[in-house]
Amino acid sequence: MADLVASDPRSMVLVTRFGIDLGFGDQPIKRICQEKGIQTDFFLLMVNIFLNPLYFPDKKLKNVDVKLLLTYLVNSHEYYTREKIPLIQSLFSTFLARMDHPAKVQLERFFNEYIEEVIEHIEYEEKVAFPYIKELVSGEINPKINGKDKEYGISVFEERHTNIEDKLSDLKNLLIKYFPPSSDRFLRIRIINELFDLEQDLANHARLEDQILIPVVEQLEKQLNS
Amino acid sequence: MPASALIAEQSEIIRKGMVHLLEGSGLFAIIRETPCQASLFENLKKYKPDVLFVNPALIDSGFQEKLKSNPEIKIRLAALVYSLFDENTLRHFDEVIQINDTRAKILRKLNNLLKERTREETQPDQSLTVREIDVLRLLVQGMSSKEISSALFISTHTVMTHRKNITQKLNIKSVAGLTVYAMLNGFISIEELE
Repeated sequence: MADLVASDPRSMVLVTRFGIDLGFGDQPIKRICQEKGIQTDFFLLMVNIFLNPLYFPDKKLKNVDVKLLLTYLVNSHEYYTREKIPLIQSLFSTFLARMDHPAKVQLERFFNEYIEEVIEHIEYEEKVAFPYIKELVSGEINPKINGKDKEYGISVFEERHTNIEDKLSDLKNLLIKYFPPSSDRFLRIRIINELFDLEQDLANHARLEDQILIPVVEQLEKQLNS
Repeated sequence: MPASALIAEQSEIIRKGMVHLLEGSGLFAIIRETPCQASLFENLKKYKPDVLFVNPALIDSGFQEKLKSNPEIKIRLAALVYSLFDENTLRHFDEVIQINDTRAKILRKLNNLLKERTREETQPDQSLTVREIDVLRLLVQGMSSKEISSALFISTHTVMTHRKNITQKLNIKSVAGLTVYAMLNGFISIEELE
């Protein structure tokens, strides 16, 4: 496990989202997974998808532990809302406070709107999509019997799944290219670095949802419908 | 911009060997690799590499057609050849790299692959035209494409083309982001936005 984290710092956030805290000593991945009740295959699948953008799981989807995956996703949401977003917000407000430009108000508004959208997206997933999936997994909903639930399906979730990325990349480009040079260059670098980091993390997050969560839930829906 | 490459090849040895060669050439800043063909096309769309190094066995005719129907993907194709392939198959490639090529020969081929690219890049014009600025001004004031078309006496189709070009040049997609851009460049004042 220590080798994994040492070889790629991105794995730190991944590992902690499984409830594995740093300070695990020299224990191998398999033992740690056993202790935490995580299937090793599933853990490795997640690691591969997370660290290698070109990795595509072929037929291994049968090892997916949907409940654990949801816990993982909720934990990453917590990381965004409690750690990452407040950090960027505070850096950004310092940056704005020192700035004197008529575009300041617009930039602030754009930034706040973006944050609101991210939070709204997270709340949607936690209040609508995830509970639906949980009920589906535990067998509480059967799309065939409960007619009222028919309108909602994972395909709705899939559609709602873009444009947050666009705004983040816009923000980054504005800061890199179009903001006039300012004396705050180090602060600006920190903000851009944080945006890159968040962007990558969100992209991985979306990939886990698109490549594991959605296909697995689709399979479940199909089984229940047939 | 530095060139980027995608290597699609099942053999670990060949793939890693290519990565090593490309890194050593100093010609490529971004080198990605994949062992499978399943998501090859999506990866092309996503990462838009300048050159795709690929085992010809991974490419079928469907792939060629998809490439043709997506003209925004401008890649050069290099074949990684270590078994026998029909001449007709290899004809589709811009360059063919053989397993027994010397280092110098491979470097020459890499340079060839990137030559056209540098020519295209010598005259980039990323600044907006006067007309595009007109469209941008109206757009950030909250007008729809239809409203812009009647205000400027142009077709909605033309408005859409302008919008696409603006986004492409600036690399800013959202209207909110474009608003900040327009403010920063003095194309519009706060009063006009209210």
